[in-house]
Amino acid sequence: MANIHENPNRDAWVKKIAAANTLAAGVALLTDFRAKHLSPFKTDFSLELDGQWIELKIEQKVALLKFKEFSDTQILNNNTCGTNAQIVADVVLAKMDACTDMYEAEKIHINFRLANKPPVMPVNVFLDTDRILGTKLMELRNTDYYALPLEELRKVRGVKVITLQ
Amino acid sequence: MAISSATKAATDALAVNRAPVSVGAQEVHKWMQSFTWDFDKNRTKYSTKYKMANDTKEQFKLIAKEYARMESVKDERQFGSLQDVLTRVDAANRVHPKWNESMKVISNFLEVGEYNAIAATGMLWDSASAPEQKNGYLGQVMDEIRHTNQCGYINYYFAKQGQDAAGHNDARRTRAIGPLWKGMKRVFSDGFISGDAVECSINLQLVGEACFTNPLIVAVTEWASANGDEMTPTVFLSIETDELRHMANGYQTIVSIANDEAASKYLNTDLNNAFWTQQKYFTPVLGMMFEYGSHFKVEPWVKTWNRWVYEDWGGIWIGRLGKYGVESPASLRDAKKDAYWAHHDLFLIAYAMWPTGFFRLTLPTAEEAEWYEANYPGWYDMYGKVYEEWRARGCEDPNSGFLPLQWFAENNHPIYIDRVSQVPFCPSYCKGASTLRVLEFNGKKHSFSDPWGERMWLSEPERYECQNIFEQYEGRELSEVIAEGHGVRSDGFTLIAQPHTSKDGKLWTLDDIKKIGCVFADPLKAL
Repeated sequence: MANIHENPNRDAWVKKIAAANTLAAGVALLTDFRAKHLSPFKTDFSLELDGQWIELKIEQKVALLKFKEFSDTQILNNNTCGTNAQIVADVVLAKMDACTDMYEAEKIHINFRLANKPPVMPVNVFLDTDRILGTKLMELRNTDYYALPLEELRKVRGVKVITLQ
Repeated sequence: MAISSATKAATDALAVNRAPVSVGAQEVHKWMQSFTWDFDKNRTKYSTKYKMANDTKEQFKLIAKEYARMESVKDERQFGSLQDVLTRVDAANRVHPKWNESMKVISNFLEVGEYNAIAATGMLWDSASAPEQKNGYLGQVMDEIRHTNQCGYINYYFAKQGQDAAGHNDARRTRAIGPLWKGMKRVFSDGFISGDAVECSINLQLVGEACFTNPLIVAVTEWASANGDEMTPTVFLSIETDELRHMANGYQTIVSIANDEAASKYLNTDLNNAFWTQQKYFTPVLGMMFEYGSHFKVEPWVKTWNRWVYEDWGGIWIGRLGKYGVESPASLRDAKKDAYWAHHDLFLIAYAMWPTGFFRLTLPTAEEAEWYEANYPGWYDMYGKVYEEWRARGCEDPNSGFLPLQWFAENNHPIYIDRVSQVPFCPSYCKGASTLRVLEFNGKKHSFSDPWGERMWLSEPERYECQNIFEQYEGRELSEVIAEGHGVRSDGFTLIAQPHTSKDGKLWTLDDIKKIGCVFADPLKAL
């Protein structure tokens, strides 16, 4: 029987990853995969067991393609799409700076990670941006932490109550 | 050529306060304080809601060189005792077999905690700006490296010199299947190194170290001694001498943020969440290891818990921080209720799931059952009679074809796993405070056992995505999963875990498990 380390899901994805031979194709595969299978807001749980392993393999491929197609200067400064990474980061930072709602802030932060997590964005820009976004999100989340009773909090989060004993 | 502002600051400091002329430790420490650079534009690599003050002191005032001298003396004593005297008197074989198994869990798990504490205190070093405060964290980084080695060494020593090496020697390989691992990672890993840097300090230093190292590292030496173990006190008391520095660091972390307005907004929430996170695992697991993993009892766990956690930490230690706005966690009262029965509930489940562990468990003897009933009135009716039934059905004998897990299924008592703490619980058969609450989010179900954890998940669900073993192995047969998860001894078919420690008892193999036909099922699917 297929086990957790070797199974048809992983085999199928290894083939898909091998077929991505340009940086653009690799990045498209990666960002699409992350949005569908690794987002905290995902609705498709079919790759719960293998998702992170598959993401790792796509990231590895994208990193290799990036080093093949980019110059040293581009690797340090540009996102894989060619845009200056700091410009991409600044747009998100401005959006977060203006944000006062924790649920909106978590979307900004999570979507930033899904779209830009290295090797899409250079590590030097990504980590610092992630730190600033994370700080703001934590500030919003922890302000008046106990303000809502659990019943209200469940509604705001949008969960369905299956059982409460 | 222009010099950097940092180099200029160092040069200016030296002009005022020349380098010490002797190597006196306190003189060097005083000299180091003059390097209080202007950190207005400094930033840490890590997210935090708080700003640490630039003039925070630390209490130990120990420079790295003095530290190294002190610790080398401690190491000489410790390793000298172990290698010479204790080996000659065959100390590792004099340990009661039940306690031998407890040390497989305690030292292997603490090693993980110490390892993550290296990263945690490195992160705090980066986050602080005061030189003295950084110096305190630096000392702790070195301590944690030492402790990681010490914990590893205890298991190495037991494996090499003592009885039943399996589980002492390579516990980590069973980490995917053992139901205690993921909860341990939650407190010892995630709690220490992810999220807000100051919140990590609260988890590690203010709760983990100031609250739970007394019951963990001090109380464990009493239980070890009572059960014939001379090695653990030798090593763990050496570890504990460093823990005071860590508690002091936690205290100074709070002092450093006391004047930051963020502290009044966030500190008590972070403390409450950190306390609940740590106690949710440590309260039942430590109680279980001490009481059920020993033959000779020291005192009921609930008394140890009340003394160290409730009175000493919740009252005195947190009380001392009251002047900085710190309050005893609101969840302390709920934790106190759980300290009475939670470890009994957990052992019932742990024994039922014994094949997935890396240690041997033993049912209470008649003598031990009397002790439980005397100290926890009502114990027999809830737990004692169940153990009698399991024993009568041959749960220790591989030929019986009976796993206690079947008893839960036969009696319609499903076992769930709390999404936030990853601690298993059985809401329909427990005396502790666990209550079942199941929520569905985007089509996936999540179970929780208490309102504090539920709120933590509702506030930041992406932090608690860890799958539990029922989700991970749903539909898989137990022996197959054990083999895949490396739960067998070096012969390739005898299980590391066993339901007894008897020398005359037969050891269970993969074939014995396979004959039973036990298949993992996710209880949430049935709801």
